[in-house]
Amino acid sequence: MSRRQLPSGGWAALRWSAQASLETTCLGALATGSEDSDARRRAQDFLLRVQNPNGSWPAFFGDDHDGVWVTSLAVIALRDVVRAIPARLRGTGWLLECVGRESNWLWKWKFRTVDRRVRFDPDKFGWPWIPDTVSWVVPTAFAILALSQLPCSCGSLEGIPIRIDHGIEMLIDRACPGGGWNSGNGVVYGSALAPHPDDTAVALLALGNRTQDPVVQASVEWLEHTAVALTAPWSLAWAILALAAHGRAIESLISSLFALPDLSRNDDTCTLALVCLAADHCRALAALGVNL
Amino acid sequence: MILSRRNFLVGSAALAAGASVSVPLFLPKYHLVRRAKRSRVAILNVERYSQGIDQVLASGLRLFPIDVQDKTVVLKPNLVDYIPGNAINTHPILVLAAAESFRRMGAKCVIVAEGPGHQRDTELVLSQSGYRESLREEEIRFVDLNRDELVRTQLCASFMGMKSLWLPRTVLEADFLVSMPKIKAHHWAGVTLSMKNMLGVVPGSRYGWPKNILHWKGIQESILDVCATIPVHFVIADGIVAMEGNGPLNGTARTLGKIVLADDPVAADTTCARLMGFEPDRVVHIREGAKFLGNLSPVLIDQVGEIPQPPMTPFQVVPEFGHLYAL
Repeated sequence: MSRRQLPSGGWAALRWSAQASLETTCLGALATGSEDSDARRRAQDFLLRVQNPNGSWPAFFGDDHDGVWVTSLAVIALRDVVRAIPARLRGTGWLLECVGRESNWLWKWKFRTVDRRVRFDPDKFGWPWIPDTVSWVVPTAFAILALSQLPCSCGSLEGIPIRIDHGIEMLIDRACPGGGWNSGNGVVYGSALAPHPDDTAVALLALGNRTQDPVVQASVEWLEHTAVALTAPWSLAWAILALAAHGRAIESLISSLFALPDLSRNDDTCTLALVCLAADHCRALAALGVNL
Repeated sequence: MILSRRNFLVGSAALAAGASVSVPLFLPKYHLVRRAKRSRVAILNVERYSQGIDQVLASGLRLFPIDVQDKTVVLKPNLVDYIPGNAINTHPILVLAAAESFRRMGAKCVIVAEGPGHQRDTELVLSQSGYRESLREEEIRFVDLNRDELVRTQLCASFMGMKSLWLPRTVLEADFLVSMPKIKAHHWAGVTLSMKNMLGVVPGSRYGWPKNILHWKGIQESILDVCATIPVHFVIADGIVAMEGNGPLNGTARTLGKIVLADDPVAADTTCARLMGFEPDRVVHIREGAKFLGNLSPVLIDQVGEIPQPPMTPFQVVPEFGHLYAL
């Protein structure tokens, strides 16, 4: 990870690229060890430099300034950085403004009456990938994690608890019928769609304090069963983090992860960062604000 | 009748206002015309996925005057997700056969590139669907378009009302781009063929999984804008085992036994739609695409080999697309 860091302090998603990706940079910042490491400090500086005027963060360096879902990850990656407090507050403000389009009464009405091909409850909304689209599982889960890290919800932040509650309800609503999550379409045209390991894991991290919920329990079971056969490092690393957060045994999964061939030569730096986080899962979960 | 100055001014203003609203409705929404005077399509009969596809495809490609000497060829298969038993993705055997053919034709480099629309873990889709091992064995480079470098690209059409999209550099810099769809019915678009397949180039890292902005802007409109902006030079459509019903993920496998080759995406999709038992001009993006991207009319398509015949039983579609059936 240190060798792949760009001079700007960010990381590109793919090894041969020079275009800093914010998702990769946030995961890289979390993965690069102690708070005083040079790589981490440079990554945090980069994040502070590229914040959009409206408080959000772009998907990559050079992107438009309207902001995308990685704002949640940036807020998380800048946790515990005192000089980043104003930037995190602006980011939080943007997250509170950003809602899935189905929260609007007109679209709510449409999804209740005319457009019922995808089964979901439009009263339960979270966060979209980009503004002006509907809520999806991964951006909602990361937003819940980011907002849950804030020490208080006073003043302009008083909307946080209700947004978190709505987001959690939305995640529960969008689960696949047998447990687990995909991007957010559990049932389409009456057919159940299959869950994805990575989406399930990210949702479970955001639902770390809902362990008694039957949907969460079924999803943990599904992920634990599925993770054993995973050979893709991205999904396996997310599964390790989520299962650790829910108190399941992960030692054999970690062994499987590090037995994968050519792991450190993976061209996908975003995956490499995540593998580093899985290897140091206790610290990673603390950074994500998940209590073991 | 005497026209007062006041009435004249009011009338003129009303006329100007009406024109400013209505004229754009009649202006074309595309900024350039890529349609060739004639197009060529070949239908190859292939019963099953086997190593013999190499030979069949190589001889099929010889029916076209293709020049890829010293060019970078990008193969864009349809890799959406993996569900055991579901015919979702372009079969890797066909993609490998295409890569081998283009290498033999002198291509400088052959790249397989895709940005799965549902699954964030592209590596997982690659390994589960049988691509990863095959690509490694044949030393074919794969680029995840969901994470590739992005370039702001002005759209060459304005059906969805956006001026630009961030698109992956690998696709924009391709000398010869081959769309390799799986022939499927699609619950939002009616069909997913070579044109719809191109929505896979829209990067998830910027627009999310699924690429929801395209749904909000209109799928048919998005297909037209993306295809207007990124020229498809050739089509190799996998219809050996296709999908009907609730595609692109949960439909039913349907053995068609065909590979469709074409030098024009509209002509390719026209032929595929006929093979599915649909009227091509009832598919919005095929009908509109025929105005500027390629040919729909049989008079303008040189059909090499087999003439497309509608199947005895048309492909099933979700009720919203019942109007696609040929009378």
